[in-house]
Amino acid sequence: MFAYAIRRILATIPVMAIVALFVFSLLYLAPGDPAAIIAGDQATPADVDRIRISLGLDRPFLIRFGEWAWQVLNGDLGVSIFTNLPVTHMISQRIEPTLSLMSLTLIFSISFAIPMGVLAAWKQGAWIDRVVMVVAVLGFSVPVFVVGYILAYAFALQLDWFPVQGYTPISVGILPWFQNLALPSLALGLAFIALLARITRATMLEVLSQDYVRTAKAKGVDQRAILFVHALKNAAVPIVTIIGIGFAGLIGGAVVTESVFAIPGVGRLVVDAILRRDYPVIQGVVLMFSFVYVLVNLAVDLLYTLFDPRIRY
Amino acid sequence: MALLEVENLQTHFATLDGVVRAVEGLSFKIDAGETVAIVGESGCGKSVTSMSILRLIQEPPGKIAGKINFRGRNLLDLPDVEMRKIRGKDISMIFQEPMTSLNPVLTVGRQIGETVRLHEGLTAQEAEKRGIEMLGLVGIPAPERRVKEYPHQLSGGMRQRVMIAMALACNPKLLIADEPTTALDVTIQAQILDLMRDLKTRVGAAIMLITHDLGVVAEMAERVVVMYAGRKVEEATAVQIFGNPQHPYTRGLLGAVPKLGSSLQGHGRTKLTEIQGQVPSLRQRIVGCAFASRCPIVTDVCRQVAPAVEAKTPGHYVACHYAERAVAA
Ligand SMILES: Nc1ncnc2c1ncn2[C@@H]1O[C@H](COP(=O)(O)OP(=O)(O)OP(=O)(O)O)[C@@H](O)[C@H]1O
Ligand SMILES: [Mg+2]
Repeated sequence: MFAYAIRRILATIPVMAIVALFVFSLLYLAPGDPAAIIAGDQATPADVDRIRISLGLDRPFLIRFGEWAWQVLNGDLGVSIFTNLPVTHMISQRIEPTLSLMSLTLIFSISFAIPMGVLAAWKQGAWIDRVVMVVAVLGFSVPVFVVGYILAYAFALQLDWFPVQGYTPISVGILPWFQNLALPSLALGLAFIALLARITRATMLEVLSQDYVRTAKAKGVDQRAILFVHALKNAAVPIVTIIGIGFAGLIGGAVVTESVFAIPGVGRLVVDAILRRDYPVIQGVVLMFSFVYVLVNLAVDLLYTLFDPRIRY
Repeated sequence: MALLEVENLQTHFATLDGVVRAVEGLSFKIDAGETVAIVGESGCGKSVTSMSILRLIQEPPGKIAGKINFRGRNLLDLPDVEMRKIRGKDISMIFQEPMTSLNPVLTVGRQIGETVRLHEGLTAQEAEKRGIEMLGLVGIPAPERRVKEYPHQLSGGMRQRVMIAMALACNPKLLIADEPTTALDVTIQAQILDLMRDLKTRVGAAIMLITHDLGVVAEMAERVVVMYAGRKVEEATAVQIFGNPQHPYTRGLLGAVPKLGSSLQGHGRTKLTEIQGQVPSLRQRIVGCAFASRCPIVTDVCRQVAPAVEAKTPGHYVACHYAERAVAA
């Protein structure tokens, strides 16, 4: 198990290298002269030259990539073209709201979706199952920003239960932090909840028809333990897999959610950076999100061995 | 009073194309400590009968009617909570498929321990100790190590031993074994049967043994119930069934009659022989004798009037209009 973890961690290195290469070449994949693109429409030829030199565009691609990669490994993501601040600094200023949003969304999603899916599978065909399935279909087909506006309208504007927008740091207090994030997390999580509930239901249905569930019943095990001990642990691998895969969607959704609810997070940062063609910032943020995604899926892989003793590497 | 008294059991399933009458008016008894074999072709309702006794039939689509008196209480009237206290404690069950009947993600010790923790309120440590004890009892070597292993680390024979250990952990009064050896190879089969016989005398449990294998019946059972299309067609002691079968269906099954007590590994080993013709559909109400369409001595009466189960000699019940003639034939 330990050896496997080490091997699996080492295996993420080439993955990250490829991601880095891709992120770096983002700038050069765009058509036209990168320096001219960055400089924008109003730039003079002198501006463009200055930018070209400052980016080192006059030197070969691989050398530039090597230099950039070396910097990144040393924790230097470069300097924003727009603000002249280090990209790491800009990200670290914005990371808390985004991490908070994603964590709360994950917690919401898992704690709603899994019981929902388990319940629906247990009561297959009953009204509760239908309700869950309808919610699942709706949740999956309505885009984040629509859900976001509906939630904000109903619970913030009409009922006044939550603030409409903004963010309160956790250091100010857990409650205001939570109140600010509750609606955004729900909006962002809805599609995820829908997906997760469906997968949980389908997997549980399959597991509940297995012989060992009948054995458990024949032993006198009660329904709750059958569902949550005997069955859910067997359903865990597909569920955890979907959590890992769904996480990518969560990253994209976070960018939209931050815009809808005016949360000053990394998502907003990257949107602004794209509008200003602030490539170092874009690269830094994309690289960071990729890294988080790789980490999450590493965690998923390691969790497999915890849930299913048959999985050995 | 018998330990288990099944009276006019009817288990039906509502399906999209009609009601399947899997068990139709079945009655039999099992006394304390007795081994009763239930035999019959595939689909005659043996498993449904055993699942009905423990109320493991999903309702709906299933529906169980009749009476299942266990130590004087009708199990069909018990609330779920009471029924759970009986499952695994007073009545336990071994299934046909040892490869899939154990939970793959829980250790063997945990699965055996769960039963005793549920029914005897043992702590986790006590339960593990009992688990080790039970594994030793069913002849698994190095039980201290095995108790921490998962089912996939065990062979089929070992898994069935674990199932037996689990089933006997709370000293049940009745053990229902649904084809416990069918999925195992012959030498392992013999070992498992020996084990069951041995443990039966030790624990004093009655056994309801469901099987296709007449060799197993000859070796294990004191009494035999022969089922056909969800009904009992004959019931007698094993000696009577093998020596003096009355129902034409039983005679067909016995085709080549094994000698009572013939060894499993020997040549006396016999599977149920094929009988010509088709089992009637369980989706229609059967008029007359259920076996009429395949019976070699069928007459018009058989097609119109269902024969009642009657005692031909004391303790020997047959449902056939021509039971005596069958003897003479
Ligand atoms: N859930 C169900 N829905 C509909 N029909 C069912 C259901 N369960 C069992 N049956 C039907 O009941 C009949 C009896 O099945 P059962 O499993 O008891 O047979 P069996 O005697 O155990 O056969 P085998 O020797 O093959 O195990 C079969 O015709 C089967 O199709
Ligand atoms: Mg069966």
